[in-house]
This record gives sequence, C-alpha cells and structure tokens, in this order.
Amino acid sequence: MSNAICKSLRSPVRNLASLKKAISTSLVHNETILVRNNEEFINKVMNNDKPVIVNFHAEWCEPCKILTPQLKQLIEPLTDLDLAVVDVEDNADLVHTFEVKAVPAVIAIKNGLIVDKFIGLVETDMITCLINRMSGKKKEGT
Amino acid sequence: MAPVAGTYDYDLAVIGGGSGGLACAKEAVNLGAKVTVLDYVTPSPQGTKWGLGGTCVNVGCIPKKLMHQAALLGESIHEAVAYGWEVPSLDAIKINWPALTEAVQNHIKSVNWVTRVDLREKKIDYVNGLGEFKDPHTLIATLKNGSKKEITAKNIVIAVGGRPHYPDIPGAVEYCISSDDIFSLGHPPGKTLVVGAGYIGLECAGFLNSLGYPATVLVRSVPLRGFDQQMAQAVTSEMEQKGVVFHNKCVPLSVEKLETGQLKARWQNTETQERGEDVFDTVLMATGRYALTKTLNLEAAGVTCVSNSGKIIAETEQTNVSNIYAVGDVLEGKPELTPVAIHAGRLLARRMFAGATQPMDYDNVATTVFTPLEYGCVGLSEETALARHGADKVEVYHAFYKPTEFFIPQRNIRNCYLKAVALREAPQRILGLHFVGPVAGEVIQGFAAAVKCGITMEQLMNTVGIHPTVAEEFTRLNITKRSGKDPNPASCCS
Repeated sequence: MSNAICKSLRSPVRNLASLKKAISTSLVHNETILVRNNEEFINKVMNNDKPVIVNFHAEWCEPCKILTPQLKQLIEPLTDLDLAVVDVEDNADLVHTFEVKAVPAVIAIKNGLIVDKFIGLVETDMITCLINRMSGKKKEGT
Repeated sequence: MAPVAGTYDYDLAVIGGGSGGLACAKEAVNLGAKVTVLDYVTPSPQGTKWGLGGTCVNVGCIPKKLMHQAALLGESIHEAVAYGWEVPSLDAIKINWPALTEAVQNHIKSVNWVTRVDLREKKIDYVNGLGEFKDPHTLIATLKNGSKKEITAKNIVIAVGGRPHYPDIPGAVEYCISSDDIFSLGHPPGKTLVVGAGYIGLECAGFLNSLGYPATVLVRSVPLRGFDQQMAQAVTSEMEQKGVVFHNKCVPLSVEKLETGQLKARWQNTETQERGEDVFDTVLMATGRYALTKTLNLEAAGVTCVSNSGKIIAETEQTNVSNIYAVGDVLEGKPELTPVAIHAGRLLARRMFAGATQPMDYDNVATTVFTPLEYGCVGLSEETALARHGADKVEVYHAFYKPTEFFIPQRNIRNCYLKAVALREAPQRILGLHFVGPVAGEVIQGFAAAVKCGITMEQLMNTVGIHPTVAEEFTRLNITKRSGKDPNPASCCS
C-alpha cells in the first residue's frame, strides 16, 4: 500500500479527469477529511486538486488536542485549502510511509508532493504562515 | 512452516515484548539478525489489558513512578505554604482520580505507540499472539481471534515475565484487584486494603495514602523481605507516621462483597491467632508475582530447567536446550528489574549474533523502593554481609541526617537515615550502601558505579560532598555502629 503512495509522490503529473472520478462524492467542501485508511488518503489527499494540510493526531497526545482544533478553526473556513486528520493508531502504514516518529506532526501536501512539514505544537504564527503559503495567500509585510 | 534444509523463518524469535524481550530483539536486529517478537496480554481477573511494552511500561515502573510523583506533588503543595506560597484553600486541595489515571494512561499509550513504530522502523515483525512451543525451533502464536500462526526460528528467547499472584482465599479473584488494575482503575479506589508488604504493596499503599485514599497493609512476615530490615523499618515507620495502618504477621482469610458494594476483608494474626476485619472500597492483592511459563508448553521444546515456582533456571540465560534462552523476570534467582532485563537482553543478543563473550553481571545492582520516603540501595544488606563475612570482619558506618528543605515545613526527619556496610579491614571495601530519604534513586545511582569500581570507605570519606544535598551525607559518614556513638547529626556544615 505504501508503494502506491510513494508512486503518487514521485509523479506530480496526473490525468485530472480520471482522478475526479476516484474522488469520493461525499466529500463536502471545507469539511475536515477524517482519514481512516490508505485508500481514503490517496483519494482525498494525494488526488486532491487543492493543497492539503495533513495532521497526524493521537487521542492520548495532549499537544494534539490543542493543535488539531486550532487547525480546524483556521482551515475549515478556507475554500482553497483542505485539512485531513490522520489518527496514528488507525493508520500504521501512513505513519510508516511519512516517517512520523512523534505527534503532532503536520505535513503539507500539494499535488501529491510533500511541500512542508513540522513536528510538535508550534507557535500559532508558524501555523498561519504555513496556511497562508499553502492557500496561495501572501502574508502582509513579508 | 517447517524448516527446509535448516532454514528458519527467523534468526531469533522473542516471546514477550517487555523490557528484556525488546532490548534483546533490537540489539539482535542491529547485529543483522531477522527477528520477530510475540507479545500478548491475557486480561487480568478484573478484565484489564494493555498494549506493547511489557510490565514496566504498562503496569509497573512507569505508571508507579508517575503516581508516586503525583503523591509527592500533593505533599509539596502543603509544604509550599511554609515557604510563603499563598495557596487559596488548603483543604480544597484534592486529587481528581480520573484526571490522574487519564494522564498516566495517555503517557503509557504514547509509549506503546512509539514502541510499535520503533519495531516497525527496525523491521522487527511484531505478532500480537500468545506464544507456545511446538518443538525446540517452532512456536505457535494464538491470536486474539483464535487463529494460529506457526513460526520457526534458529534461536528463541523466553522473556514472558510474570503476573500478580492471587492468594487462594474466597473472594480474592472475584473482588480484588492487583497492580495490573490500579493504574487504570475506572473509579477512585477509596479506602484500600493492600495485602502484601513487598515493594509493590508498600509503593501502592504509599501513593494511595498520600493521594488521600486511606490505606491499610497486611504484612505476612516482614516488610520488604529480602531487603535490609533496618531500612525496611525506617520506610514503614515513615508510612505509619503518614497514616498508613499496618497489621503485622497477618494473613488474609476472605474477602466478601457487601450490599453497599464495599468489600469486607477478614484476616488472622499468625502469632496470636487473633482475627481482624474491616470494610474497604478496594482490596489490592500484592502477594508476589509468578512467571508465565505454564502456557509456554516448555515440555514440547524439551526445556526442563524449571524451578518449583515456575521460573527458568539459566545461569547464563541459556536453558538446557542450546538454542533456547531466557531473560528478565522469568529467570530464577535474578533481580526482577527492568534495567537488569534490558542489560541482560542486550548482552545475550551480542553473544548470539556478534560472537561476544561478556556475561551479565547480576551483582551490585542498585535498586530503589518508591515509597513516600524512598529507599535506595546497592550491594549487600547488613544481614547478608554479616552472614557472609562474620560480625568481626564487617564495619557499618551510619548516620541520621536532616535534609535542609525539611526544616521550614517541619517535615519529619526521624527516618532520614543512611549506612555503609564495609569490610572491616583497611581500606574497607564497601559491600553495600543504603539510603532512606527523598530522591533516593537519584542519590544511589552514582554510587552504584562507584561500588562497581570497588570503592572503599577510605575513598568515600575522602570524597568532597556537594552542599547542600542529601547525597553528600555519604561522604560525611564517620560513626560506626561498633563505636556505639550517637549517629544523630549535631548540625550541618561541620
């Protein structure tokens, strides 16, 4: 399964038309994507035309309980950026593929490529900076 | 899969994913071996189960230390007042048991996860199944859903550890909990009876009492049997002073459940034959642990070096079957400690796969009992030293001391005591060091290295202490028991 993900990572050019069929029609715009298996990840994250912030989360992790709601609050109102939450207990393959050794971990994916990554509960500034970059907004004053 | 022309599925199969098993597995993989680890937790009588990592991580050292810390912090809040902290209402300060257990369990789960990720990174195959032998090179793992998986391996390490033993009395299994259950107990324990005064019983009674849950301890013979008895006395005296009730020379007779849901426990004094009883919210059995060798089907492997208690007799961790080894709590006559299992596991892997010859040194292993006032020690107890060398050849230096931080809050210093047991003949090599006081584990650790180097009283007395600490008291030792002089401190700084 991780093979398929690796392949997607290496080939940014894909046939968008055929992929649109693969995307689940139950995907509601701006609702946080709850990844429960590899297939969902490929369909809703790797094959998403919008960039996706992938948040690796664990219920037993205190900092996660602060970061995840924060990410939801910042990203859900945006129309050009999605948030996917991956529970590390349910997605061992993804954890292995993305070499997640600690939680919370945030990986930014655009067109199937990892464009950014941070580990741990970082400052709100850094999070908003990442979100702005991913959603194409230019941060004022930079 | 039967071995074809001598090829096995794995170079090493480890039964037990605890301290010893995992350390051995990881070291073996570092040395190029193909390894699998079997781990399975049979639920406790009360239904408690846990993840990968073994006793230490899930129901031992880790949660114990965290609860001990929670208890100490509770005491600190009260002491803080004497130092000038304005604490709103002292009597409103109480422990939130669900919050405590959630925090502890969250930490344990994070360790379970990191352990699993680590095994995956290192390409160690993890099988969540109960292992048993089919023959010296074949194991059968029974998974949770009942399915069976056969595994063949060139070498097999038994690292199954142990579980709490329940006394054979009415109500024990039905109504009582053990250390398996206390750290995730779904309701506050309330007034608790702890049956057993080994370190598990005393540590549990200690933190429960400090957290605000009245604790009573039934002591069958003596507290901390096997440890230096003078130090054990200091530990229990301190606990009594803190409100823990001790019933000495008492064995439990029965535990029955009352209509209120509470438990009525009955016991008998084995010396006076007097009986006693009381009602508790929780009864915690801490009457020893037994090795999990029964379900292994050792006979199928031809392993016969098993003691009456079920432990494996293997002086160099190798059983009577040359490709089968054992490490950790399952071993007979070795200290049941995580660092011992880890160290032995690693050395064993090196002997198996790197041609190393270094055996595990089980002597002078330091340990600490994390009772409210802690007891740390390394080496021989005074009794053992006297029995081994004779009173004439042994010199014991001792002292009571007063930790600087205890004065202001007027903490009890009566049980702050330490001693060095040494050979009488110059340079007086130290045989054992014993310390009762705060942060005893931190105090003793460095001295364990010193004892390994053969430290003598002359060297110890010539060591300059760090001031003000409690550890420096070792460097100030100068009064012997033999002299009869008063070991109480006059004043500090002189």
